[in-house]
Amino acid sequence: MPDSPTAPRALRLGVAGPVGTGKSSLIATVCRALATELRLGVITNDIYTDEDARFLRSAGVLDPDRIRAVETGACPHTAIRDDITTNLLAAEDLERDFAPLDVVLIESGGDNLTATFSPALVDAQIFVLDVAGGGDVARKGGPGIGRADLLVVNKTDLAPYVGVDVAQMVADAEAARDGRAVLALSRTDAASVAALRAWVLTILASHRAGTHIAQDPGPMAPHFHADEEHPEGGFTHSHDEDHAHAHAGAGSHANE
Amino acid sequence: MNPAAHTVAMLLADARLPSGGHAFSAGVEPAVQGGLAREDIGAFLRGRARTTTLVDAATAVVARRAGLIGAPYAPIERAWAARTPSRAARTASIDLGRGLLRLAQRLWPQSPAIAALTVGGAASPPRPIVLGAVAAHAGLDAETLVRVAVYDDMAGGVAALLKLEPGDPVDGVRLVLDACAAVDPLISQLAALDSPEAIPAASAPQAEAWTETHALSNRRLFRA
Repeated sequence: MPDSPTAPRALRLGVAGPVGTGKSSLIATVCRALATELRLGVITNDIYTDEDARFLRSAGVLDPDRIRAVETGACPHTAIRDDITTNLLAAEDLERDFAPLDVVLIESGGDNLTATFSPALVDAQIFVLDVAGGGDVARKGGPGIGRADLLVVNKTDLAPYVGVDVAQMVADAEAARDGRAVLALSRTDAASVAALRAWVLTILASHRAGTHIAQDPGPMAPHFHADEEHPEGGFTHSHDEDHAHAHAGAGSHANE
Repeated sequence: MNPAAHTVAMLLADARLPSGGHAFSAGVEPAVQGGLAREDIGAFLRGRARTTTLVDAATAVVARRAGLIGAPYAPIERAWAARTPSRAARTASIDLGRGLLRLAQRLWPQSPAIAALTVGGAASPPRPIVLGAVAAHAGLDAETLVRVAVYDDMAGGVAALLKLEPGDPVDGVRLVLDACAAVDPLISQLAALDSPEAIPAASAPQAEAWTETHALSNRRLFRA
């Protein structure tokens, strides 16, 4: 089935972020906001089989057949970055079975702050944090926080209960991202949902126009080390290797 | 074998090869969920090596031969399916085959042996058929192919075991060595197979029952 220049394949949009920040819920929100105007498919990557796929099917936001689960062998990080074979096959299957699709949303298994999608798998990616994870997480940085196409600060409706200043968290995130997009989201805040919807449509339009280029957020964002022996300044560097060294409080290795 | 064939043999035995294998446990998670005791894992792997793994290795040998002479793969796939009674095991093998096929098609788009796997729009065959076709294309000899097939299965199972029931990883290496050694005496015999009918019909009913049960579970880390 040859692709013609006027009909590129579906936009593959990754959704990554630590466990429990609301990735599945965000996907359900996108489906609710766009299912009537776009042809959507969803792939979930779970630690334990198809938990997230079942959540999304039960949410009733999309034809259950359009929601596929892939298993990751306890390595959600591997399945979206190092060996993306199973996810690529699932995306190709969805795009074939429901051709033509506009967007395939791919949810990562809830992993840790360093897990991001390979640009060979997704065209663009959203990294999801939530206020309940702590107001300082955005400031700590990491590849997804620093360089995903969109950073979502989710569950803003919970901020008063967990003592987080949303405006400050967003400002920290914007500072960590050199001006890349940050969105404070709550599924109960219609204006924020409308902003998410508009962002997806904008990315889709640039994908179709051929002007959007998939970016790798990288294994580790450049970051700053304080240096006690040289109080006039520390140093900023980046990591080329895919392992995080010990940063005080930086890595939340929820799984792996 | 020429130098390039040796490299391909090592690639095929490497768990880091991007073909989706990391989501499979070579029957180990089904066995552990089915109640197999940790101390019986060695016996389980040796048993697997001499039954279902051996069927797969023999299938790969016959598929390699077909790839070399341009014979059809379909009769070999039927012979393999008849010797692989668990539907869940067949499905898992086909999923693994798709991953390897996707890689092989990208690496060697001009290969007749690999192109013949999907001739007429056929669905992807199971892993041993794809492996045999890759061996035919890359110039692996049949004995090396058997070793690769057995080693990959055993090493994959032990890698999964380290996630399911972590222990001393050195013990895991011993398990791989022992299980592969269980097949060593049979390698030349297996490498000489030249027809689908000659593929041994060695099944492992308990392991196959565990694989079936595991496929219905919704609390698992691995695909099979």
